[in-house]
Amino acid sequence: MTSLPLSTPTPALLEVSSLAKAFGGNRVLQDVSFSIGAGEIVGLLGPNGSGKSTLLNTISGFEAIDSGSVRYRQQEIGRLSAHRIVARGVARTFQLPSMPEKMSVIELAMAAATSHHGFWETLAARSGVRAAEAAAREKATRLLHELLLTHVRDLPAAALSGGQKKLLGIVCALMGDPQLLMLDEPTAGVHPNLRNDIVQALRRLNAQGMTIVIVEHDMHFIREVCSRCIVLDRGHIVASCAPQELSSNERVLQAYLGGGAQEQGNAMEAAQ
Amino acid sequence: MFDFLIFSLTIAGIYAIMALGLNLQAGYAGLLNFGHIAFAGIGAYATGILTAAGYPALVGACVGVLVAVVLGWCIARLGRQLGADYWGIATLAIAEILRTVATNEDWLTGGAQGISAIAFPLGNLPRPWGALGFLALVLALLWVLALASQRLGDGRFGRALRLMREEPKLAACMGYDLRALKSRAIMAGAATTAIAGSLYAHYMSFVGPDYMLASETFMLWTMLMIGGMGNTVGVITGVLLVQAAYCLVPFAKDSLHFGSDIAGALRIGLIGLILLLSLLWRSQGLIPEKLRKIQ
Amino acid sequence: MFQFLIDTLVRTSDLALVALGLSLVYGLVKFPNIAHVQYAMLGAYLSYFFQAAGVPMALAILLSCCAVGALTLVLHLLVFRRLLRSGPAITMIGSLALAMLMVAFTLGLFGSFPLMFKLPLTAPLQIGEVRIGHTQLYALATTVLLLVLFSALLFYTSTGRAMRALSCNRALAAASGLNAENITRLVNFSSGALAALGGSMLAMTSGAHVNLGYDMLLPVFAAAILGGLGNPLGAVAGAFLIALTETVVTNLNFGWLLGKPVAFLPVAYISAASFLILLLALLFKPYGLFDREVRRV
Repeated sequence: MTSLPLSTPTPALLEVSSLAKAFGGNRVLQDVSFSIGAGEIVGLLGPNGSGKSTLLNTISGFEAIDSGSVRYRQQEIGRLSAHRIVARGVARTFQLPSMPEKMSVIELAMAAATSHHGFWETLAARSGVRAAEAAAREKATRLLHELLLTHVRDLPAAALSGGQKKLLGIVCALMGDPQLLMLDEPTAGVHPNLRNDIVQALRRLNAQGMTIVIVEHDMHFIREVCSRCIVLDRGHIVASCAPQELSSNERVLQAYLGGGAQEQGNAMEAAQ
Repeated sequence: MFDFLIFSLTIAGIYAIMALGLNLQAGYAGLLNFGHIAFAGIGAYATGILTAAGYPALVGACVGVLVAVVLGWCIARLGRQLGADYWGIATLAIAEILRTVATNEDWLTGGAQGISAIAFPLGNLPRPWGALGFLALVLALLWVLALASQRLGDGRFGRALRLMREEPKLAACMGYDLRALKSRAIMAGAATTAIAGSLYAHYMSFVGPDYMLASETFMLWTMLMIGGMGNTVGVITGVLLVQAAYCLVPFAKDSLHFGSDIAGALRIGLIGLILLLSLLWRSQGLIPEKLRKIQ
Repeated sequence: MFQFLIDTLVRTSDLALVALGLSLVYGLVKFPNIAHVQYAMLGAYLSYFFQAAGVPMALAILLSCCAVGALTLVLHLLVFRRLLRSGPAITMIGSLALAMLMVAFTLGLFGSFPLMFKLPLTAPLQIGEVRIGHTQLYALATTVLLLVLFSALLFYTSTGRAMRALSCNRALAAASGLNAENITRLVNFSSGALAALGGSMLAMTSGAHVNLGYDMLLPVFAAAILGGLGNPLGAVAGAFLIALTETVVTNLNFGWLLGKPVAFLPVAYISAASFLILLLALLFKPYGLFDREVRRV
């Protein structure tokens, strides 16, 4: 039972209550509860195996939840399938994005512009369709430019480097104009220069009102971007605090380091 | 010779329409439909049953399309977690069940004897204009359907299908309803193929359960894989190549004087060999699918 | 009643070895091999060929099994290993092409007329009120014997353990020192040999014909899937279930349903019964009734 006081001044955008998920006998998430307010940038941290990715997967609908509830804008989305959750304005990226070989970067981004397959519209090819395609192309071009992918626009998406694929994943997530964006380790494997640009882009998006949840390991990144951190350990939430308080939080240290927490915590602080 | 040429071209045209229907499912959407011929069989049987009952040809064709589309919707909903290759076996099983039913239900389908004497639409015209006219009809329909297929493939719908084919998780996280996409692709393929089946029944004046043999689906697959899946030109190339090989065999049979068993063996063997070689060396087909250019 | 049971058991033995081979090798290669049932057909033809050349029946079958086993191995090394790099779907289509080639080859060489083995013509055995043909009895006995031997191999020898480990988790097993390549070769050889044996025994009753393989494609797959792919003994249980359904379907008098004294389903619907079971299995229990197999479906 680890529901800690969570300061959310505005009505919560996302409310997770008593979420539980087990794979076979392995209880990956146990009684996880927290809420995210509109306009926050929240970091989701925890050692390997703590359940961060599973949490992201259950909220975004890629894994079914065993029990508990997930409410987005006061509506229950816990039992919905992934594409329906996306339709409500919740977008996510993947930790190890796998991109298609037979589609170019720009085509992929255009595919992300809509979630309706448009069978009859495509067949009829009326002027409305052409206008929609042009709009999709412009939006895709703009987002690719913002995330510095313009120079690879016509390459097959699978030919991109790992870091570029991550950026492309963010572009695809943004094409749908989500209100809640969930990123799964967006900076792992990304060139340091690019990393700064991601930080800038996220700050810009947040300033425009987007709520962002980031699963991350990189402490520096977290400090630069997040206003709040939620820490998971073995399926439980052990802390919810500002990034600066992390290294002094007993339970966080215990989660990451095991015993002898305080001295190692001081060492950590010194090293940073 | 001339008659044979017209015959071969007409048959090639009809198979090309069926192959286009399969391409929508297998080429664009990556769905391994191994029961595809069932859609053609439905079109053919609907035509046979309804024209024998006195209804005009168009009614037969439309009913055939309708029933095929319903079947397509059903198989699209089959097994949510089924891997692609196992779904293929399931579709094969369905086609075989339908073929067994067609063989046994004499009252509806004429059983193993099938339905004969189906009216040939342009039968009143003097030879060879009737056959030429039908060929023109088939080619016109093929042209229209090829254009439609091209448009679908290059546009929004095709993009969604191709994404689903390669990265279904990515498609889902963009909000695409994969089940609806799958349904739509299969239904479109079903409708196209049912039209071809209807044409076939009229052309041969006959429909029988052998129309739905699994080997027919395999032949369509071979056409697709040899020519190149996922693009219209590739499909038509494959059809022409396989039809050419098929037509060579009767000639060889006559000139080299071997029996019908060997002729049959040659047909199957040639197709199998070409398919295997193309899988080993050019698994994308002769005309592989290329990246689509966006200005 | 007993006739019913005997009929079921005989039909089971038709399918069991082929289904076992399929399930066994699936655990290692993870794609549905459509050509597998054609090994049974080839085995039948080779047995005929050897017997016609003067070799005694049992030896002819043995030679045929070895030959087909070798062929299976060669095909795995030359064709399937390569195709698997492009994924299971492409490999399945490749197996389809190979199946076509095998049928074409046999059709061209031996013709489309069924070839009967030279066996002494004896009246069926009568045990109590049950009748069973001699060849069927031999087939049944051989099948049972082989199943016992195979189970012993699988559960009581180190090779068997290695096979089971490999089919559960190939990477881990190979990393822990198992010679994955050798085991894979052994499994491929055995599955082909078993299929050839099954086909030969079937041909003792019905003769060798080109459709022998294709006719059992869907029932064999149904049996293997019902038992859980990668679970070879499960495949045998699946074969039993298929055989049971087929026997029930054709022996059940539906007259009471239709208000007639006698009404049976047409014989052709036997195959439809196994297709239907395959469909239901794929829809509701794709991991098999026993749900202990390798997950990929």
